[in-house]
Amino acid sequence: MELEKLAQLKSGDPVLFAELVRDHHRALIALTVPIVGISEAEEVVQNAWLKAYQAISSFAGKSAIRTWLGSIAINEAKMQLRQRKRESLFSDHGDENQYTEDSLAQRFTERGHWQHPPAHWHTDSPESLLTGEQLAECLEKLLTAMPDNQRCILEMRDASGLPFDEICSELTVSSANARVLLHRARTQLFKLVDHYEETGEC
Amino acid sequence: MLSCRDFVNNADQLLDRDLRVSTRIALRIHLLLCRHCRRYVKQLARLIKAIPFIHNKATEEEVRKVMDCIHSHENT
Repeated sequence: MELEKLAQLKSGDPVLFAELVRDHHRALIALTVPIVGISEAEEVVQNAWLKAYQAISSFAGKSAIRTWLGSIAINEAKMQLRQRKRESLFSDHGDENQYTEDSLAQRFTERGHWQHPPAHWHTDSPESLLTGEQLAECLEKLLTAMPDNQRCILEMRDASGLPFDEICSELTVSSANARVLLHRARTQLFKLVDHYEETGEC
Repeated sequence: MLSCRDFVNNADQLLDRDLRVSTRIALRIHLLLCRHCRRYVKQLARLIKAIPFIHNKATEEEVRKVMDCIHSHENT
């Protein structure tokens, strides 16, 4: 974000704040659904926006704005759980290896060499790689079907940019398991995009 | 000798710079020798950069709802 725009935002400009809501609201919903469930995520994110609006003048700009908003939303989600005396929907299942097979496992020979190496991807820009109309639809299906714990870590780490240590402590998950979950989530996306880039279909 | 499967299993951590030096060196050496894994890690990095863009923009109605709630708190 440009400095001038950030300064205006920090001074409480409602139009710019509405722009922020437009750009990040859906991401914050996706971030909190695996923690509080779909029925309460909207309320949690609404409270997070309120907190963000009240605190925007203190945003230091050290992290990306999405990361800052993400931390606020996670705090609100945790507060909601405490108030309702509920456990997080997210759970650390221990050894993840037994739950889902690595999506790319079939792409290797028995000795671990590539049997079906990655295709050459034509799309360059991060904004357009995942937003092709047909791909976006498949991606949505994939994300919906993804186990909550994988989705949660993908949203926190890759969609919101939260630091890995913070994610492990927020979710009380061991860093080894968090790594496995993140790897599983990313390789599912990789496989989907790779197939799409290779065949034009998904 | 590191296999391509081993490389892929560690590529996330290589990108996140979260590995012991000895493992990082082994992965770097593998990369020098394997063009498929070079392509894999390059495209994985591209994919990770694209993930923040997977969420659509909120609708006008969603934005209005949030802003109305903020304004109603401001007025109380």
